[in-house]
Amino acid sequence: MSDMKVTISPRTSPDALTPEPNQAPKLKDTTAALPAKKPLGPWALLWKKFSHNPYAMTGLGVMLIFILAAIFAPWLTKYDPAKIDMMFPNLPAGAEGHLLGTDELGRDVFTRLLYSARVSLLIGFSVAFASVVIGSIIGALSGYFGGWIDTVFMRIVDVMNSVPTLFLNILVLAIFGSEIKYMIMILAFTSWMSIARLVRGNFLQLREMQYVEAARAIGVSNTGIIFRHLLRNSTFPIIVNATLMVGAAILSESALSYLGLGIQPPATSWGLMLSNAQEFMLVDKMQAVYPGLCILIVVLAVNFIGDGIRDALDPRQNINKSRGRLAKWRRNFSKSGN
Amino acid sequence: MTEYLIRRLLQSVLVIFLITIVTFLLIHAAPGGPTQVMLAPGLSPEAFEQQKRNMGLDQPIPVQYVRWIGDLLQGDLGYTFKNHLPVGDLLWPRIGNTLILMGAAWLLTLVIALPWGIYNSTKEYGLSDQTASFISYLGFAMPTFWFGILLQQWLSLGLDWFPLSDMHSRGKEGSIADLFMHLVLPVTVLSLGFLASYIKYARASMLEVLEQDYIRTARAKGVKERKVVFRHALRNALIPIITILGLDLPLLVGGAALTENVFNWPGMGRLYVEMATAREYSVLMAITIVTAVVVVLGSLLADILYAIVDPRVKLGGKGTKAA
Repeated sequence: MSDMKVTISPRTSPDALTPEPNQAPKLKDTTAALPAKKPLGPWALLWKKFSHNPYAMTGLGVMLIFILAAIFAPWLTKYDPAKIDMMFPNLPAGAEGHLLGTDELGRDVFTRLLYSARVSLLIGFSVAFASVVIGSIIGALSGYFGGWIDTVFMRIVDVMNSVPTLFLNILVLAIFGSEIKYMIMILAFTSWMSIARLVRGNFLQLREMQYVEAARAIGVSNTGIIFRHLLRNSTFPIIVNATLMVGAAILSESALSYLGLGIQPPATSWGLMLSNAQEFMLVDKMQAVYPGLCILIVVLAVNFIGDGIRDALDPRQNINKSRGRLAKWRRNFSKSGN
Repeated sequence: MTEYLIRRLLQSVLVIFLITIVTFLLIHAAPGGPTQVMLAPGLSPEAFEQQKRNMGLDQPIPVQYVRWIGDLLQGDLGYTFKNHLPVGDLLWPRIGNTLILMGAAWLLTLVIALPWGIYNSTKEYGLSDQTASFISYLGFAMPTFWFGILLQQWLSLGLDWFPLSDMHSRGKEGSIADLFMHLVLPVTVLSLGFLASYIKYARASMLEVLEQDYIRTARAKGVKERKVVFRHALRNALIPIITILGLDLPLLVGGAALTENVFNWPGMGRLYVEMATAREYSVLMAITIVTAVVVVLGSLLADILYAIVDPRVKLGGKGTKAA
């Protein structure tokens, strides 16, 4: 279907480093400035392009705010997320010192949103990290060694892709119990396949490169080649994929918690809050709005960051030539397989 | 073609076989195994052993697996632990309900997404194109069940235009109009999710075709733009979309567990969640297998259709000719 386009990382193709080939040279500086300037490294170049993308930078800013809010949650609120206070249930926003009011059990909604951010971000990042580890190892072995190893692993990928993911997640959580560690494990277990495919594809391309042959000729071990040369050259595409995976994992977590198979009370999560809110929809309308909005904003932010990195890696991108920011963004978006 | 078909079919059987093993092992890996749940609580040790023997749970796991698979092949999906109902009786009506819901959502999506995506490909970066891109960005980032809850609050509780949930109003089980009103909200929710990807597919597929040489040739020889788009480009652009339709086919059966839960729609997805909470393992196994079979068949069908529609596709293997 729509696998992500393999972007050649700047490290492998030096001509991708030459910025703005189309731009008319400014006669004054170019000759004088060029020899003195040190060429930018891949990370600096990535950042330079990334920071010119307003969507990506907004996403990054929003994400930082959520991460800080999650870390410093206890200092940002004076309430306990699980403390039931039947004196003040269903308060509207702003009443009695509750910034966003209270829920049906008198718990402070703002506080619960903050603590939910911890759960969602923890699960999002852990799942992405675990998928990267599993996917990279399997993809690397498949792509580097090929042969029967490749066949076996790719069949496993086929099987995994044929299993209805949500059903499998529900099944495992129903069997093993709804704990965060099981959630992270099963979500990672059902989402590493895209990274394995990506890494395998990259390796198939890269292993024929001359520098790999050179490395082999001077006696670098297989492990050395895989980790030092091939995997490092696949870093950027993996990062893009992993970023988008954070968003997907957050969505899955909220869905499972909503269905009652994820986070269990007294712990809290946005999905769980939504499931409560639906029950008490007649009493308090706004309860259903805040948690969903949080999920939407975080996932949008993560996706913007991911798309921003991908665009920054695309050598066809020209940061200084934009005919309308939205049009440019649209163009990038439509190119991507997502 | 035949050779390819046979190989692909064998592959599918292998994949389904692997899935049955994984599902079976997963359930038997549960702490305490299925025994704990299947047997009535509070039995004396002797009665416990007796019942275990009756249900065949004292056999080694491979034997149990072979028995289960044998029953499965004969169309026997097993019985629920509670009440001892045949799983099939529980499952089939639910599949029908899911088909109604998903079929409606799918049709609506195609009717909107294909023309819209195609139009957008001819007017790149126009207002309509940007609206579509906004919708798909939103569709990817928004939890669909949240959208459902918001619609319930706004259109059902607030304005009272549509029923809140369920499939029929009480006493109106036969009424098509009533069913239609119940369909509106869940179908809207599901369609937004589908639209997000289908507009994108249709547009991208058209754009790719419009860049081809034969389109340039057609334009160069003076074919009207309208004819270029509809006669020359569209037919080729539909090919990849057929594949995607095949790959999404399982959604029709597997349903959207989330949407069904939000709207209390008695479909298969909701059955699955109910049974998961009740730990009815035989139902869970049955649904997982049924869905997996449809997934595998869907991708098989997509491959075959692709080969039939697109004569450029050479089906692997030595000497095989295109269809």
